[in-house]
Amino acid sequence: MNHRSLAFRLAVWYTLLMSAAFALVGTGIFYGLTQYVRSSLGDSLRRRSVQVEQILAQAPRDVTDAAIAESINTRIAPDFNNRFVRVTRAPAALVYVSTAPADHSFDPRGVAYFGSIWPLKSLTRSAVTAQGQALILSTTPLATASGRYLIELGTSLEPIETLQQRLLLLLGLLLPALVICASGGGYMLVNWALRPVDRMSQTAAHMSLRNLEARLPVLPTGDALERLSLSLNQLLARLRDSLQASRRFLADASHELRTPLTIIKGELQEIVGKQALPGEVGERFGSVLEEVARLEHLVAGLLVLSRLDAGEVQGDWAELDLAKVTLSTAEQMRLMAEDRGIQIETASLAPMLIRGNPARLKQVIVNLLDNAIRFTPRGGTVTLRSSQSSLYSVLEVRDTGIGIPASSLPNVFERFFRVDEARSREDGGAGLGLSIAKSICLAHGAQIHVDSEVGKGSCFYLLFPRLPKSVIQGAAQAIRGELLMDRDTDVTPITLRN
Amino acid sequence: MPYGGELMRLLIVEDDPKLAEFVARGLRAERYAVDLAADGREGQNCINSYEYDLLILDLMLPFISGSELLLRVRQSHPSLPVLVLTARDAIEEKVRHFEAGADDYLTKPFDFAELVVRVKALLRRTPIERTDVLLFSDLELNRLTREVRRGDRRIELTGKEYALLEYLLSSPCRVFSRTMILEHVWDQSFEGVTNIVDVYVRHLRRKVDDNFSVKLIHTVRGVGYCVREPESFAGPGMA
Repeated sequence: MNHRSLAFRLAVWYTLLMSAAFALVGTGIFYGLTQYVRSSLGDSLRRRSVQVEQILAQAPRDVTDAAIAESINTRIAPDFNNRFVRVTRAPAALVYVSTAPADHSFDPRGVAYFGSIWPLKSLTRSAVTAQGQALILSTTPLATASGRYLIELGTSLEPIETLQQRLLLLLGLLLPALVICASGGGYMLVNWALRPVDRMSQTAAHMSLRNLEARLPVLPTGDALERLSLSLNQLLARLRDSLQASRRFLADASHELRTPLTIIKGELQEIVGKQALPGEVGERFGSVLEEVARLEHLVAGLLVLSRLDAGEVQGDWAELDLAKVTLSTAEQMRLMAEDRGIQIETASLAPMLIRGNPARLKQVIVNLLDNAIRFTPRGGTVTLRSSQSSLYSVLEVRDTGIGIPASSLPNVFERFFRVDEARSREDGGAGLGLSIAKSICLAHGAQIHVDSEVGKGSCFYLLFPRLPKSVIQGAAQAIRGELLMDRDTDVTPITLRN
Repeated sequence: MPYGGELMRLLIVEDDPKLAEFVARGLRAERYAVDLAADGREGQNCINSYEYDLLILDLMLPFISGSELLLRVRQSHPSLPVLVLTARDAIEEKVRHFEAGADDYLTKPFDFAELVVRVKALLRRTPIERTDVLLFSDLELNRLTREVRRGDRRIELTGKEYALLEYLLSSPCRVFSRTMILEHVWDQSFEGVTNIVDVYVRHLRRKVDDNFSVKLIHTVRGVGYCVREPESFAGPGMA
């Protein structure tokens, strides 16, 4: 159980409050009941006492103690009723005391006398016999023609004590059980109340930048939860709108650039192609045309990226051997590498079956190879290797090039990012190749990582999930979402060398 | 007049006046009669009023969109060849427009030379007879035996070098842009790979030109490469 969780803390508070409440109620019941039983016992004693009073009041002035005793025994039968009756005449003459009750719950002779100062009116008191038996006594002073009497009528407190014990036992068992039920129930209740929040967070977790159409479940509860889900949904809608706007802008911008580019290129090419331009002018036109070509690549790259952003993986997916695609691409680029004195090593390419769009994946390989060749000095090697781990099919593109400083590693997949401004610009790279490669990988549910050491070389890893065909699509969705959440920071350098 | 002596009449429906003008000028230089329409409605009117041999259609048009016009043309003029120009190049879209009846498809920014090649191909009513031997100056490429000779010397070429030379020789004196070469000899994946074409041309040149005083493969800076005689520069470079 998570001790910091809201559910836990609420449940603890709830339990504490419930325990306090139960304790209060329990104490109340205990004392209330005791008091009630006691006072009703007192009342019944008082009624008997009235009978004794009547006997004494009606007795003639010269009545004998024996006559009184007989009257009491006849009218009240204390021993039979388990009552204690004692009549004392002032100042200290015992007129009558009942015999031991039928149930032997107390010894009448063991009950202490009231004392020399009698009360002015009747009262109920407790007394303990010499044998330790507790009694409740109703003590009433009475003045008659035959003298002043103190009538004491009592009964054993044992039933009340038994009741108290039972009650204590019951409460002692019941209260903890209630507290346990209450805290469990409270925990469940809080969890139940938080379940919609859980559902919201689950939905949110499955969202990605490409899947912003989904909305959180809205609970018609009319309270904070409903407001929260509504405002989160509004936030999502705004996020989607602004994302769409920026994507549309990127797509539109690269679109709109194409017509003027066609004209510029066409007109310039016509001039250069048709007329023999004097040397220097021709050079200048050529230089401008080279820039136009670069602009063209840039626009094409941006358009590709905007497509991939929109979640568009073109064409049909097919099962393909990525090693084969890599090998044929490497063959096509081998001459270009050799021209720069770089060897392409392909001996460690083992079949690597994945599902994907062959043309797009080829573009990834081309971009990575182009990158490796561009940044590897003469005499270097670019090694292509495929391997399988339990979770991934991995393709490595390793070079012995200039490497990427650790500070730049997290940024290499960013658009227009260049490790070394001067160097790569002069090489004509637009700074989009790696970010296109990454976008394509994401669209395939694959990951791309880089590992590099300055002066020793870099290694790019493509990790394709090894899953049954049916699962790949789903995984692609999930991984895509996950990676898009932190699209620019997930370049955790990992080591996969075996 | 390129084919059969009759003047071919083309209609360009393109809303960007400069681009339309530029394409029209180039095509007129190729001796086609070219009409221009600036929007879909005007294009529709032209098509209804004249007999055209080819329609060049931009997809983003005011009033009646290019796609809509394409559908209408397919119904009214089923045999009119249509070359679609567009800034969109998603493959699915390409497929969609082929399904809608476009005969060919060109993505902006295109090379004008490429446009001319496509136009000529579409206007060719009968399939082109494929010449087995491409001959230029003393350079000879035999498509059947895949043998390349210069004078009496045999030249050994790798597969890509052969494909490159075959493409350049398919239209001597025309300047082929790097993009065109990439798309024909490699594939679109290599677009943006800085110098793959230059490397191959350099290797090809080493084999074809190095031991000869007359150089045949020429660089047109900023544009691309062509096969021509050294002094024929002032000729019709573009197509």
